[in-house]
Amino acid sequence: MPAARKKKFDPAQPFLILFCILICIVTIYPMYYVFIMSISDPVEAAQGNVIFFPKGFYLGSYQTVFRDGKLWRAYANTIFYAASSTVLMLTTTVLMAYPLTRPNLKFRKAVVFFLLVPMYFGGGLIPTFLLVYKLGIYNSIWAMILPSVSIWNIILCRTFFASIPAEVAESATIDGANHFQTLWRIYLPLSKPVLAVIAIYTIVGVWNSWFNAMVYLPNENLHPLQMYLQRILIAQTVDLKKMMTLEEMRDAIKKSLSSLQLKYTMIFFISAPIMMIYPCFQKYFIKGVMLGSLKG
Amino acid sequence: MDLAKQQAAALPKKGLSRSARENLELYAIMFPTVVLIIIFMYVPLYGVLIAFQDYVPGAPFFGTGTAWVGLKHFKAFVSSYYFARIVKNTLVLNLMNLGMGFWVPIAFALLLNELKDTFFKKFVQTASYLPYFISSVVVAGMVLSFTATDGILNRLVMAVGGTAQAWNTKASAFPWIYTLTCVWQSFGWGSILYLSSISSIDPSLYEAADLDGAGRLKKIWYVTLPFMLPLIIIQLIFAIGGLMSIGTEMILLLYNPSTYSTADVIGTYVYREGLLGGKFSSGAASGLFMSAINLALTFGANAISRKFTDYSLW
Repeated sequence: MPAARKKKFDPAQPFLILFCILICIVTIYPMYYVFIMSISDPVEAAQGNVIFFPKGFYLGSYQTVFRDGKLWRAYANTIFYAASSTVLMLTTTVLMAYPLTRPNLKFRKAVVFFLLVPMYFGGGLIPTFLLVYKLGIYNSIWAMILPSVSIWNIILCRTFFASIPAEVAESATIDGANHFQTLWRIYLPLSKPVLAVIAIYTIVGVWNSWFNAMVYLPNENLHPLQMYLQRILIAQTVDLKKMMTLEEMRDAIKKSLSSLQLKYTMIFFISAPIMMIYPCFQKYFIKGVMLGSLKG
Repeated sequence: MDLAKQQAAALPKKGLSRSARENLELYAIMFPTVVLIIIFMYVPLYGVLIAFQDYVPGAPFFGTGTAWVGLKHFKAFVSSYYFARIVKNTLVLNLMNLGMGFWVPIAFALLLNELKDTFFKKFVQTASYLPYFISSVVVAGMVLSFTATDGILNRLVMAVGGTAQAWNTKASAFPWIYTLTCVWQSFGWGSILYLSSISSIDPSLYEAADLDGAGRLKKIWYVTLPFMLPLIIIQLIFAIGGLMSIGTEMILLLYNPSTYSTADVIGTYVYREGLLGGKFSSGAASGLFMSAINLALTFGANAISRKFTDYSLW
């Protein structure tokens, strides 16, 4: 905004600020409510007295959730899927993006066409499911990791590579580097920003995904975090109260701890990592949105 | 990567022109990705052919030995009892989503742009992205528990004198719950492009408008919005192109048999009947039907936009 406008008193500012505070309440309150419910005294929580601040203090639900072995297993699975998908995604992306930026590439139009078709046409759920089944990767970790290739990311990366001056690559060629070496030693170190964008998109995407696991992974031991959560919150095929020890159960009954409070605890516990770090990496996401919109 | 390296190293050094050698190397680098794209994007595209067959589970994927039945599954889908309901729900939910979800990010971006305190503006922005980073499962889990009989929504309803209901199993409430959830989850994120577009407006335009005595609203109407128009139209074309497809995952999480009458859409129908029910051919046909309409919508919206404005995707 122009500096000249800053000096004048703007009577609308207080209303705008008030309105924005309301918006913040709308976006933040649901998770805040989940949090205060999870740490409140079970009786107060069950009676619905918890609205603005926690009432009483009780961490028994966290104790139960921490003890849940399936949760930790799902956590480990998610970390494994996120890490391996990200490595594969970065690899497939740069390997495709680099040749597209080389001026001597022949049949470039055909390659671009090859990439554009899947952006507009897809097989859909059933043919993809049958493919995974026929490949023999149904109900295995490969169904989660192997499809780590994205046309969108390739275009994003290509756009960034194209902004690296051609002279840089040429001088490397003169020094006797082949293309793979140029990509590895020259392009990748210069492309950290776009690689970070793609990595973070992939990590958050995998972290929050559940649908692929529901379709391709009947084996519960392989389920990622969100799929486990789906079984607790949506399908309700997992009862958290069964995770309790006898002593905890007695304590819970005495305190009338509800399944609902346990669910809220689970929600907060699983969402806390992403909520704590997203303000730090949101700039990469925004950069991704911008880079993507530039492709033209 | 190792594969590409080996292939690159294995290239013949003699007998080929420099350009051919270079291209061989470049294509060798592309090779792993090309293979994955063919397998995971092109093979399913080919697999769509089972929509025109009587595919039996267990038969080979590439159609040998399965009978061709032409448009049988499409005809069955269109004349089925559920067809009208599914098409109606798909249109209602997506039009509601478009009607509410489309203008909110634009209005939010305009609102943020009027804030003077940069620190507060940053805070509001960050807060508005929060729902985008919370997973769909968690969002749906919260929504379902908030709208349950003992949920916080009913406390609000009773506070204003209404009667408590199980909103999460009430068919007539589903479209609203779904739409508000989607808008809540995406409005902040959707505003990013609009905000960046606003920030690239030349400040001297506003100064000129100031000199002409334009107020806040006039500046928004005559300077900001016309500048954003190309972006708005392109976003609208994208949104219309996705009219039939968005939201399947969220609906799968939020709906239940008592809300099927207003919640079941093509995507969820394909999942339930085609995948869980094992009717692969008819499921693929319904899915293809949906993609075909989407493609037609994208082309239609683009053509209309090109005719009446100067902006289009291609």
